[in-house]
Amino acid sequence: MKNLNRILLLICFTFLFSRCTDHVDYEAIEGYQITAEVYFQAESDYEAALVGTYDPLQWLYLNVLIGDIASDNSLCGGESATDVIGLQQIDDYTHYPNNDNLTSIWRWLYEGVNRANYMEENKSNIDFDSKEALYAEVYFLRAYYYFQLVKFFGDVPLFTERRLTAGDSGTLVRVPKEEVYAQIEIDLQNAIDNLPTSQSQIGRVNKFTAYSLLGKVLLYQDKFNEAAAAFDNVIGVYSLVNDYGSQFLRLGENGPESIFEVQYTNTSNWYDWGCPQCSEGNFGIIHTGPRGWSGPEYAQGWSFNVPTEAFYNSFSVGDARQDATVLDIEAFASTTGATYTEGYEHTGYYNNKYIPRAGESGAQTELNYLTNYRAIRYSDVLLMAAEAYNRGGIDDGIAQEYLNQVRRRAFGDQDHDISLTGTALTDAIWEERKFELSMEGHRFFDLVRTGQAASIIDGFQQGKHEVFPIPQQEIDISGLTQNPGY
Amino acid sequence: MKTIILRNLSTFLLMFAFAFNMQSQSISGIVTDDNDVPLSGVNIIVQGQNQGDVSDFDGNFNISNFESGSTLIFSYLGYKTLNLKISSEDVLDFENISVSMERDLDELDEVVVIGYGSQKLSDISGAVSTVNSTAIETSSPVRVEDALQGQASGINIISSGSPGSKPTVLIRGITSYAGNDPLVIIDGVSAVIDDLNSLNPNDIKSVNILKDAALASIYGVKGGSGVIVITTKSGKRNTKTSFSFNTSIGTQEVIKTIDVLNATEYVAILNEASVAAGEGIIFPDLSSYGVGTNWQDEVIVEAPIVNHSITASGGSDNTSYYVSAAYLGQDGVVAGGDKSFFNRTNFTTNIDTDLTSKTKLIVNTNYTNIKGKSLPENGITSVLSNALNFDPTVNPYDNGQFGISQTITQEIINPLAQIDNTHNKGKTDKISGKIELQHDFMDNLKVTSRLGYTYVDIYNKYFVPFQYYGSGHNQTNANPDLTPIVTIDGEGNITSTHNRVGENYTNYFNYTYELYGNYDFTINENHNFQTVLGFSIGENKGSNISAANEDVPFNSWDYADVSAATGNATQQTSGSWQYVTRNLSYFGRILYDYNEKYYASFTGRMDGSTSFGKNNKFGFFPSASFGWVISKEDFFDSVPLDYLKFRASYGSLGNDNISPQFSLISTFPSYVFNGSIVNGSSLGSIPNDDVSWENQVQVNIGLDTRIFNNKVSISLDYFNKTVDDLLFSPNLSLYLGTPSFPTTNIGKTESKGIDAAISLNTSIGALAITSNLNFTTADNTVVSINNGDKYIWGAGYGIPYTPIVRFEEGYSPGYFYGYATDGIFQSQEEINNHAIQNGAAPGDIRFVDVNSDGVVNDEDRTKIGDPFPDFTVGWNLNLAYNSFDLSVFTYASVGNDIYRAYERNLNYTNRFASTLNRWTGPGTSFDEPRVTFVDSNNNRRASDRYIEDGSYLRIKNIQLGYNLPEEIVDLLGFDDVRAYFQVKNALTLTNYSGYDPEISAGGVLNSGIDYGTYPQPRIWSLGLNIKF
Repeated sequence: MKNLNRILLLICFTFLFSRCTDHVDYEAIEGYQITAEVYFQAESDYEAALVGTYDPLQWLYLNVLIGDIASDNSLCGGESATDVIGLQQIDDYTHYPNNDNLTSIWRWLYEGVNRANYMEENKSNIDFDSKEALYAEVYFLRAYYYFQLVKFFGDVPLFTERRLTAGDSGTLVRVPKEEVYAQIEIDLQNAIDNLPTSQSQIGRVNKFTAYSLLGKVLLYQDKFNEAAAAFDNVIGVYSLVNDYGSQFLRLGENGPESIFEVQYTNTSNWYDWGCPQCSEGNFGIIHTGPRGWSGPEYAQGWSFNVPTEAFYNSFSVGDARQDATVLDIEAFASTTGATYTEGYEHTGYYNNKYIPRAGESGAQTELNYLTNYRAIRYSDVLLMAAEAYNRGGIDDGIAQEYLNQVRRRAFGDQDHDISLTGTALTDAIWEERKFELSMEGHRFFDLVRTGQAASIIDGFQQGKHEVFPIPQQEIDISGLTQNPGY
Repeated sequence: MKTIILRNLSTFLLMFAFAFNMQSQSISGIVTDDNDVPLSGVNIIVQGQNQGDVSDFDGNFNISNFESGSTLIFSYLGYKTLNLKISSEDVLDFENISVSMERDLDELDEVVVIGYGSQKLSDISGAVSTVNSTAIETSSPVRVEDALQGQASGINIISSGSPGSKPTVLIRGITSYAGNDPLVIIDGVSAVIDDLNSLNPNDIKSVNILKDAALASIYGVKGGSGVIVITTKSGKRNTKTSFSFNTSIGTQEVIKTIDVLNATEYVAILNEASVAAGEGIIFPDLSSYGVGTNWQDEVIVEAPIVNHSITASGGSDNTSYYVSAAYLGQDGVVAGGDKSFFNRTNFTTNIDTDLTSKTKLIVNTNYTNIKGKSLPENGITSVLSNALNFDPTVNPYDNGQFGISQTITQEIINPLAQIDNTHNKGKTDKISGKIELQHDFMDNLKVTSRLGYTYVDIYNKYFVPFQYYGSGHNQTNANPDLTPIVTIDGEGNITSTHNRVGENYTNYFNYTYELYGNYDFTINENHNFQTVLGFSIGENKGSNISAANEDVPFNSWDYADVSAATGNATQQTSGSWQYVTRNLSYFGRILYDYNEKYYASFTGRMDGSTSFGKNNKFGFFPSASFGWVISKEDFFDSVPLDYLKFRASYGSLGNDNISPQFSLISTFPSYVFNGSIVNGSSLGSIPNDDVSWENQVQVNIGLDTRIFNNKVSISLDYFNKTVDDLLFSPNLSLYLGTPSFPTTNIGKTESKGIDAAISLNTSIGALAITSNLNFTTADNTVVSINNGDKYIWGAGYGIPYTPIVRFEEGYSPGYFYGYATDGIFQSQEEINNHAIQNGAAPGDIRFVDVNSDGVVNDEDRTKIGDPFPDFTVGWNLNLAYNSFDLSVFTYASVGNDIYRAYERNLNYTNRFASTLNRWTGPGTSFDEPRVTFVDSNNNRRASDRYIEDGSYLRIKNIQLGYNLPEEIVDLLGFDDVRAYFQVKNALTLTNYSGYDPEISAGGVLNSGIDYGTYPQPRIWSLGLNIKF
């Protein structure tokens, strides 16, 4: 048994004096994980990161819902007065800095910004042919995220050089929104300079998408001449579809009128209720579905964002947009024999543009609706261009022409053409935006932008509600200032 | 194994010497230990007679009226109980018997395994609690932790009634928001609490709980939450094979159901709620509903529990062995054994053998197989939640189909249908054990080389069939006839719903290799040293692979397998994960005593781990302790105490509940181009290279004393633990976006408390009494959190999800956070005079404007409860009288609050009986709000309305045993036969309205929330212990 002693001693020495500290080293590759240190080495890494920068666009369903819930178009609805309390409060104008939904919007938009900035940080690692065009998309997306931030919150922290890390927490301050707008314009100009006029893949932005967004951003700043010039590049490139309602159906997606469309699909089985917006489907859609629906064409949902009766009745007779925009659920149910239950603030109407349609979702029904979000449509550009030409005092004739293109499509005739000028024309254009673009998430921001919000929206306080409160959590952690009145 | 071996009782007789006297009717003598030192306080009972004595200071005893041929039973704590049959043929002098008792090394009260060595309990200057095999066997637990509850001071165990589920185990309070599980050491091999589900409690010889830094710091960074040291049984050298067969059969019942509205009450309340919301009467004719269905009665059943084990142990000159086989089967009281059970089979083999006179080989091997099925628990979708909330007007079955609610369209479903539609199974195979060599290099230098390992395979399968809960119900995925719902959209595209099956395999493997030497020596006779020095190296790995597919043939569990499912490539999903951690440690300890009067210990461990940040690879955890047996001082002679010892310790420990950190690229992001998913990337996490262990400093001061001739012993400890460098995922600025943020060391907690234990060991005539009472308290405070918010959220509940638990600076960890209520608004005038509370109407709840800013909003939320008890008390009483023995164990938890979170609160879900006392007009109620379909005041918001005092006193265990008379036992060919009757959870005294005031959902930040907790059943059982 002397051998045993030797073996013990051998073990002793082997462990004590070799590979000891190595034993507690750990590298990410042991877990098959990719680290930042080995990334951005190939063109494909850049392409993947670009896809990652597009990704947060899919999370912005709340931005769309709030655009109408906060306006005169619709009520919050839902299951009860406390169902998604943050949206209920926004509808009722009782919202304050503690609002989970606004916190999500803030954080998700900044994730988009950070993803773009992370690409900026790694821009010079390697060179490849399409790099400038690829970064043009990145700049467009960063501009889009910042534009949403400015629309919702006004002055916000602005950073562009690199992705923030833990050490940057609490170090930034809000900058005046004019500076943010200036950066947005720079990014969009960069995008315009390097984007192609068409992309090989549907869903990627092109030069005209960037012009359209630039025009919109300029219009929000009342820079009418520059806005009109930006829109001029887009006029005639796209066209209005004949059947207004068809563009909101699945077959109408990415059609000739679509300038910028956030893409979703129902083909993924992946979902996680802990991160519902992270699925590849449109989580906004289930929110606006008819409650307890059992019948044809539509699928049941959560009865949020229900249009008011007054809004439904405000359409002129013969306007094709009335029933394309608003679903009269009572009438539809009685013709088809369908049944449904009434949710909170039941109005009898549903958003017919964005609504769960039978068979359009995937594995986890609530989270996988394929419905794209039409973020910028050509009719929007026509009306914005009309407004720029009119309010900038450039040419009311052109303004009328653009406005009437939209109206002729809606009414199917020229009898409803408008020949007003000056501020009367301005009012007509604004009114037209309501009928053309309602329930698409624009109304609240249009009313604020045009100074009409206080007179039209119940509960809206001038000087306070133009922007939403900075999330309380961010104020507490980062020491940011709050918006006035909150 | 079935051979019955009659054992030679004469070995017992070797331990005493005696004289002989035929004439006397009384018997007297002296009791000593094996060193001839007199023992005082020994219980001496004449078997079968109502008389006995207790030995005095000098070990003397005297029993009158002794009949020749009777048996004397000598019992004393820490010594083997001795049965002496004394007859005049054998004994010459009845007046001068000398009895020597043998120390019982099995009794933990004497020798305590403390990690890399053992020590006499009386020599320990740290804080330790011990639980012996008798206490464990008496409680016949499913998991060994259940047997520890209330048996030892300083340890707090909160269990759930769910078969086989892991309890919350806290040793000396809560020091961290995560990772409060103690380290478990089984026969020297490190394990975790989760491993205890595979251990057969009957195989356990002893459990020691190392509570303070002096003892736990030999385990360094893993010792911060205390250490549970488990020693399993082994055979004895030179004994014939002895067998032990234990069996028990019991039935489990739920003691209490919760009062909900019956069908008539339900429809009446709904009518009222509808009218209050300005809508019409829904149910015009109340008379047709009757009491309807009480869904709890439908799902709760009586369920069996069985426990069998057989062991064989013994040994030859150079080998001893212990072999056991055990089976435990527990069915769930919710829905019964078809869908809910926990079955465990164990095979244990512990063998040690002398390879040479100086070298010993020990091989312990434990194989465990666990099979189980489970139903959803602890949440809105649990069976009990459905039973409480489902529509009482619905019949369980209608025309052979499960009854369906026309009005509830979300989450809540017929629980019977849910049970029927839940299909899963799990199987665990586990092998663990050790191979250990002990070699005596010199007389007092022993080197131990030990390889411990655990290998676990876990397989799970689930099947989500087509199910129908009513048209438009969000849990429905099929037509009423269980065919898929096929939809055709405007363009003629067809889509369909599917059933789904998933399987996954998980594998864990860990090993620890340790090499250490124990060197004991004495200098100048009185200076005794016990030293140990060694190192430990280990690795811990886990991996998982899973697959799922749709379209299971015949919508049947019988065909539910990924291999049988016919879904196409896009319907199939798969996944995998893996991890590995490694550690390397060096440790050493010096135990010193001077003449067993003054004690000191110095312990240190250096730990390195893959988990720590690059800049902090190794941590050092030292400790020291001092002890003084005051009663050995000369001046103490006049003090009326039999024994007094003072102990003090100070040291540091750690907690390594972190994972390695990197800047990881996440390939999770994706987007859609050309209608197809394209995969992208983003930066998923940010690292912190400086992250290290949580550093804990603990002070312990203790006293041990014995009084009344050693009949009563008292142990008292005060502790204070502070944890610096608490590990957090901090709340960073939201403008950093959504990557996972690095864990950093940024917080501090403090826990202090008192552990106390009193035990009594005496007899009154033939009645032997042992009793112990222990008391545990811990006062926990979060001293600081250096993140922006000064708090992190813990668990929440409900839809929409509302977090209610906080870990916040200045508060106790895991407290409940919400609105404080102040009665009911009786009138509009009262509302007008109150702080602005949007949407309030008469009959709604008054919420307190805590910050007095004139508005009731989120800012007014405050501390509304604490789920952890102020103190817990465990009381054991064991009585033995002739052939009977009785043990009663009572446990009390005082001051713990419970948040009632099982109410779904949809307009059409059922409500609780308290609703009958609702507000219906001024003065009608001051605590229960009006009912209305439009809850504009948000009465259901998280508030103290849902908080109840969860204090309880529970008789956890009553066991009455009877030892069969020797003649019958002999006739049967056995050595010992004991039959017993047992009731567990016999009685619970509490004001709590839910099923069970003992609520464990796992984790410090998810405690005390009653999601419809799985109640601990009352268990009636009959058992048999046979030795042969």
